[in-house]
Amino acid sequence: MSKRVFQHPAPSTTGKKYWRSLGELGDTPEFRGWLEREFPQGAAEFQGGDVSRRNFLQLMGASMALAGFGLTGCRRPEKHLVPFTRGVEWSIPGKTLFFSTSYPTRKGAAPLVVATHDGRPTKIEGNPLHPASKGASDLLAQASILDLYDPDRSKHFWTMERGAKGGKRSDEASFLKALDAVIKGAGDGAGLAFLVEQNDSPSRERLRAEIEKKFPNATWAIYEPLGDEGGDAVYGGVRAVPKLDKAAVILSIDHDFLGNDGDVALCKAFSAARRVDDGPDSKMNRLYTVENRYTVTGGIADHRLRLPVSQMGAFVRALAEQIQQKTNDAGVLQLLQAAPVAGVKFPAGWVEEAAADLFAHKGRAVVLVGPRQPDGVQALGAAINAMLGAPGATLGGRKSSVKPGASIVDLAARIKEKQVKALFILGGNPAYNAPADLHWAELQGSVETVVRLGHYEDETSKGATWHVPAAHYLETWGDGRATDGSYTSVQPMILPLYGGWSELDLLAAIARGKKAEGPELVQETYQELVKPNDFVAGWAKFLHDGFVAGETPKDEVLSFNNAVAIDAVKKVAVGMPAQSGLEVVFVACPKVDDGRFNNNGWLQEIPDPMTKLTWDNAALLSPATARQLGVKDGGMLEITVNKASLTIPALLFPGHADNSISIALGYGRAVTGRVGRGTGFNAYPLRTTETPYFALGATAKATGKTYQLAVTQEHGTLEGRGPDLTRQANVEDFKAHPEMIRKSGMDAHIPPNVSLYTNPELKDLHQWGMTVDMSLCTGCSSCMVACQAENNIPIVGKEQVINGREMHWIRTDRYFASLSDEEGDPEVISQPMMCQHCENAPCETVCPVNATVHSEDGLNVMAYNRCIGTRYCANNCPFKVRRFNFFDYNQRDVLGRKEGKTFSGVYEWNLVSEKGMEDSLKMSKNPNVTVRMRGVMEKCTFCVQRIQEAKIAAKVSGRDSTKVEDITIPADSFTSACAQACPSDAIVFGDISNKESKVSKLREKERGYRLLEYLNVLPRVTYLARIKNPNPKMPGFEKIGEAMKSHHHGPKHEGSTAPAGGHH
Amino acid sequence: MANIFPRGSNILPLKIVLILAVIGPALTAGAWYYFTPKYTRVGYQPAQPVPFPHDIHAKQLGMDCRYCHSHVEVAAHSNVPTTQVCINCHYAVQKENPKLAPLHESWLTGKPIEWVQIHKTPDYVYFNHAAHVNRGVSCVSCHGKVNEMSVVYHAEPHSMAWCLDCHRNPAAALRPLDQITNLDWTPKELNVAEFVGKYGKPPGEEEVDFTQKTTLTQEQIGKTLAAQWHIKAPDMNCAGCHR
Repeated sequence: MSKRVFQHPAPSTTGKKYWRSLGELGDTPEFRGWLEREFPQGAAEFQGGDVSRRNFLQLMGASMALAGFGLTGCRRPEKHLVPFTRGVEWSIPGKTLFFSTSYPTRKGAAPLVVATHDGRPTKIEGNPLHPASKGASDLLAQASILDLYDPDRSKHFWTMERGAKGGKRSDEASFLKALDAVIKGAGDGAGLAFLVEQNDSPSRERLRAEIEKKFPNATWAIYEPLGDEGGDAVYGGVRAVPKLDKAAVILSIDHDFLGNDGDVALCKAFSAARRVDDGPDSKMNRLYTVENRYTVTGGIADHRLRLPVSQMGAFVRALAEQIQQKTNDAGVLQLLQAAPVAGVKFPAGWVEEAAADLFAHKGRAVVLVGPRQPDGVQALGAAINAMLGAPGATLGGRKSSVKPGASIVDLAARIKEKQVKALFILGGNPAYNAPADLHWAELQGSVETVVRLGHYEDETSKGATWHVPAAHYLETWGDGRATDGSYTSVQPMILPLYGGWSELDLLAAIARGKKAEGPELVQETYQELVKPNDFVAGWAKFLHDGFVAGETPKDEVLSFNNAVAIDAVKKVAVGMPAQSGLEVVFVACPKVDDGRFNNNGWLQEIPDPMTKLTWDNAALLSPATARQLGVKDGGMLEITVNKASLTIPALLFPGHADNSISIALGYGRAVTGRVGRGTGFNAYPLRTTETPYFALGATAKATGKTYQLAVTQEHGTLEGRGPDLTRQANVEDFKAHPEMIRKSGMDAHIPPNVSLYTNPELKDLHQWGMTVDMSLCTGCSSCMVACQAENNIPIVGKEQVINGREMHWIRTDRYFASLSDEEGDPEVISQPMMCQHCENAPCETVCPVNATVHSEDGLNVMAYNRCIGTRYCANNCPFKVRRFNFFDYNQRDVLGRKEGKTFSGVYEWNLVSEKGMEDSLKMSKNPNVTVRMRGVMEKCTFCVQRIQEAKIAAKVSGRDSTKVEDITIPADSFTSACAQACPSDAIVFGDISNKESKVSKLREKERGYRLLEYLNVLPRVTYLARIKNPNPKMPGFEKIGEAMKSHHHGPKHEGSTAPAGGHH
Repeated sequence: MANIFPRGSNILPLKIVLILAVIGPALTAGAWYYFTPKYTRVGYQPAQPVPFPHDIHAKQLGMDCRYCHSHVEVAAHSNVPTTQVCINCHYAVQKENPKLAPLHESWLTGKPIEWVQIHKTPDYVYFNHAAHVNRGVSCVSCHGKVNEMSVVYHAEPHSMAWCLDCHRNPAAALRPLDQITNLDWTPKELNVAEFVGKYGKPPGEEEVDFTQKTTLTQEQIGKTLAAQWHIKAPDMNCAGCHR
């Protein structure tokens, strides 16, 4: 017997590189620092605001001295059990109650099911009954629950007289009196104006009709800063709704349909058609994306072209021209003649081959043009779709039930003409986000009475004469329409915490003189719309299901109107070539949206899905453009456009189009809560009525100053093991050599390992496991917020994130992949990373106190009360998924967050801040999960609270049955929070010992591999490799195909018996 | 040379050893006894706002535990009854009894009664009543003979070791489900023929003839039920109770 000799092979130096940041690509000292230390330089040092080690000791001494008096800790505190006086229907103390509702957004209502504990809503899920959700939800819906409990919410009525300095607190009665006076003096309503957000609520429409009847000359304006430019005109007002499950080839042009521009339904439909090995009938669609910066849609695309946003029109024109040549459509020829020819060059063959592929799949192809692109560009896109036979096949039609209103520009004109005496601003925040050239704040100040209904006392409230606290959607009755047109309910889970009013309340008070006390207003609408045979049963079912099933409007016919298209094309210079100078693109932030979630700590701290930036926005630009401008990451840039300028830090973003700068809106708020204060930079002042989406002719110069950005892309890097962790292949190669996935990277070289440890056999009835399908995962980060809400994960603040102390149990690692050191056109692959629940877990063997151990059902469990905080486990974790509570993030989460305390400016943790959590935040916690304290380690538990609940439920229903089946949890009857939220069905959780479960079938797939197999840690999480479906004729095809070939030594390796431990 | 140490110091080592031998064990024993839930919790008997006599209700009147603790079989938490439940009878029974004044006041004002909590688990322990009472563990195993208490007190230590004792050997506590809330039940009351007919013979005693036996021991009953109900040292890992 010869001794086994094994040398760790050096990572392969040829082939595709996987990198998370430019720092990693260039191997900078800062990056080495992240790599070599578990936590960054100085992370173990005491850093809490301005408290030094010295005055920490003073504080400690003082508190020790105080602790000596009275020995209060030794007494048993008397606690009380306080039952209800009268029983409450459905309420069982300690049991979760679920209610369905929907979350009204500008895109339509998102159907939801909300978990409530003893009357407190704690967790939001998608509505599994609704076809537009199927149980999934996006990150904004997930995080919206935190806004309900936000301690900085508006809690009082305020009134402020014109000319007075500051307002004074008022109450509902005084407001009603003032409102009455306004209504009485309104006459025919010529002086009345309403500014509302986009919303499909039929009840709101009904009240609007009543108001218009009472005040026929009132102005009703709708404003959404990130609203659509309206591509509906070419279809006669009918909106085209993509049916992605029917599409084989999709070309998205500046349309982030899996992210900001889309919804859960689109993600579900897209992922349903992107399954390579889901049975013999499974088909894999092909996605081409043209965009200026990486979005989640571009990240998952098979082919991606980076192009400045201003050149998209030229691209669409070129594409239309190509397809027109194949169809010889006379109408489109006219349209093309009306559109000016651009002088833009695209990579050779890109447009031609994409057009050929689309045309070859006529009837199964669709072109999606960004909803914020100018009308003319969208009209050309519609013309292409008409030629491709998309309407009726891959595009459905839906007519909005909402009557169009005036625009904010019309309203501004009326205010300027002094025609508006009383202005009602319902929601929104125009003083912050209206186009800069309207000078909205001044306009608003010139109106005699401005009534503002707002969730926060914000910029707009400051210039209002009355501020009315708005109720959260979880506190009110209402209704809406989902994206598929179905009628959804909005029902309260809890009474308004601070006596807020809903939009319907205020409108009813204006239209009818009093607000509704209960659901009667919505009930009337329901009666009118649905006309149920049995109202009581129908209404109960409406609330139970959350929508009216079977009443979804039928598809409208989409008839393309060429004449309208020609008009639109003429109005907007479609073939616009790049002008000199830079373009600035005002992009929607995936986290704070238009700024409405600015004070939401969960969203502020979630890394942006692509840039991995937290707590700020930045000017995103390509490394090449940055070199030209002479800036590095965090270097301040002074950007001037539209006669305004903004100084904002730069963030180099590989894959960004050159000469283009993207700035997310929604940051740099002047008046916001304690979380949002001091975050980011306000780009709205650069944005005008004419340039709502992008502005040309910008100049940028480096100021030489720097700003610290909290970017998490280098946190938890795994020693450059990208190729081992993220595996991808193109579909042809995969079908020819399916074994290549498992024999890739190190796993191609290393012989099976022998473990020194013997572990007891895991014999429990259930064995838990998870699969993550990287073909479907877009990196949208819904899972991260879902996990945060479910597991009481605290936010830690920007400073702590910079120190690498963010607490997310699940993170999405975003890798760039490129063949060489090129940074311009890398591919992107996102990988959710959470505790792998290794059967042979390295963390367990190093814990000196047995605080982390294995359970019989295959979980790596963590007993917080045993943990003494040595952090050995985190050091020994190859996946870097363990999180340590460096401070009492739950107890002292914000500096002086208690009301009345001063605030230093930036959300941060501080030792000397007052102890204790805000009461409203306590209410948001999941009572089934321990709220962790300082000094303990924590990590993903596979949602053990849900597992235990399911186990107990099975045992309770089995009772004294002697059959094992009766106490077994049925397959896929529950799932983890991340898997439940995932809009793409990428994460699947379940019992791997049950052959019927989805997860046990998925983990057998040939695409399945486990991370760092050669370490023999035996993870319970199986990743399914990303399979791409590129077009062989496209330029750059060979690069995509190359992705795996270089790591994998091919089928020739099969059967060749390499000597044990040998490596070539 | 003068003596540096006085004579008395000759026995110093002995003194030290003696003191260590006495004080050390005394401290250990003291902590062992006085600092454990067995001492700190057992016997805790606070006065309640309404002196509810469990002995009268459960023993004399024969009311089932679940009349008031109605969610014990479905929820983790065993509820304390609402005022409404008390009023079901006391709107008529003992109406004028001054001890019930707080109850009537609560009913009229809607202000709940604040009962003093006796049995407490720490926040990081997730105990589930339903999982126990539906699987053969009686109320009496953890709460003692509440039906004989005129003022309820803490009867068992409820320490982690005490929990684990039972989880390691559940057979010591299991009984047929129809006897869960019968706090006076003893194995002697078991109808052996019926039991053996339903669940079979105790494991390891398949050869024994039970037709002649009139009683089974708790261990025999528990082992049979554990085998039939597939109960094997349940949830003996941290995540069973700590999440």
